[in-house]
Amino acid sequence: MKLALAAALAISLAAQQKPTLKVPTEADWAAIAKLPDFTGVWEQTFGGGGRGRAGGPPAGPQLTPAYAEKRRAIVAKGAEDKETANCLPPGMPEIMGQPYPMEFLLTPGQVTIVIEAYSQVRHIYTDGRPLPDDPEERFFGTSIGHWDNGTLVAETVGFSPQTELAPNVPHSGRMKIVERFTLTAPDTMSIETTITDPEALTAPFTSTRTLRRHRAWTIAEYICEENNRNSVDDNGKAGINIRK
Amino acid sequence: MNIWSSGRLVIAGSIAALALSTATLSAHHSFAAFDMSKEQTITGVVSRFDWTNPHTFIWVDVVNEKGVTETWAIEGMSPNYLGRRGWSKTSVKPGEKITVSIRPLKEGKTGGMFIRAQIGDRVLMPTGAPTDER
Repeated sequence: MKLALAAALAISLAAQQKPTLKVPTEADWAAIAKLPDFTGVWEQTFGGGGRGRAGGPPAGPQLTPAYAEKRRAIVAKGAEDKETANCLPPGMPEIMGQPYPMEFLLTPGQVTIVIEAYSQVRHIYTDGRPLPDDPEERFFGTSIGHWDNGTLVAETVGFSPQTELAPNVPHSGRMKIVERFTLTAPDTMSIETTITDPEALTAPFTSTRTLRRHRAWTIAEYICEENNRNSVDDNGKAGINIRK
Repeated sequence: MNIWSSGRLVIAGSIAALALSTATLSAHHSFAAFDMSKEQTITGVVSRFDWTNPHTFIWVDVVNEKGVTETWAIEGMSPNYLGRRGWSKTSVKPGEKITVSIRPLKEGKTGGMFIRAQIGDRVLMPTGAPTDER
């Protein structure tokens, strides 16, 4: 009886866990070699390829009145710092804009991004699965991707309320992020990020980053709690511990 | 003579470099604890160098005007960041005499944010191009 129950439970759990990555074949691995070479460690360049589009509307998200008010209220609180000072990783999309490198790993059905800042990892499933209808709320969201003429197009939904659309701008449960990863030169990658949110934004918010590949680099560990002496309290007061 | 003009690391472009360091540090925390309008220079003896994330710390014993030794804590960039820009865990060693320029902590606390330092004839800067791009 117990066994039957356990078996039934296992079956129902398995049903919930799909979609499942299929076992890769030799052909699947061979197909990876035909994709653009994203291997190695990349870091954002600062000063080149900033946010927003040249000649376009002013950089920054175009907020609906309701979310402009939310931003005003957050700014009015005057917090001196954010939870990152307490080592909470920022999540998407901010985690992609850190002054630390990231590494791309391509395997059958999946692109993995190893992000040095806060030792974070993103998984982008390229096996054809759909986005979930009712995604979990996660710091990185849930990502799927496909290749479009040499560009990796990643779509991400389902974000934790603890992440921000932009500094001091919260998002709704309907925020979606589309990232287009393209090699623009042998060691240069462009990431165009477009955020839509029908409750927070009146127009898509697009920004572009440029990354440079550093063949000699490896990803280092970043344990934020190792020796974090900065802090912010519940009232938004920043602190620093200088007890030796 | 400006002591920062000597040393084997080039300081040209340091203004841009400092602007970058400002943007970089803000990735982890804000500058609220520091008085960004002030630059202060202290001289003392290194007692410890924390080559740790998310920030390095240089601990300096400084004798104040009353003859009392104070412990100063100087927060710098991470080892990950600095390590790709010419620093190592031995860039600063206990027992070395150091002159450090900082953004001091508010409220008169004995600490600050690293701007640059000189140890002997070596000048240490917080940023610059990664060593593989120089």
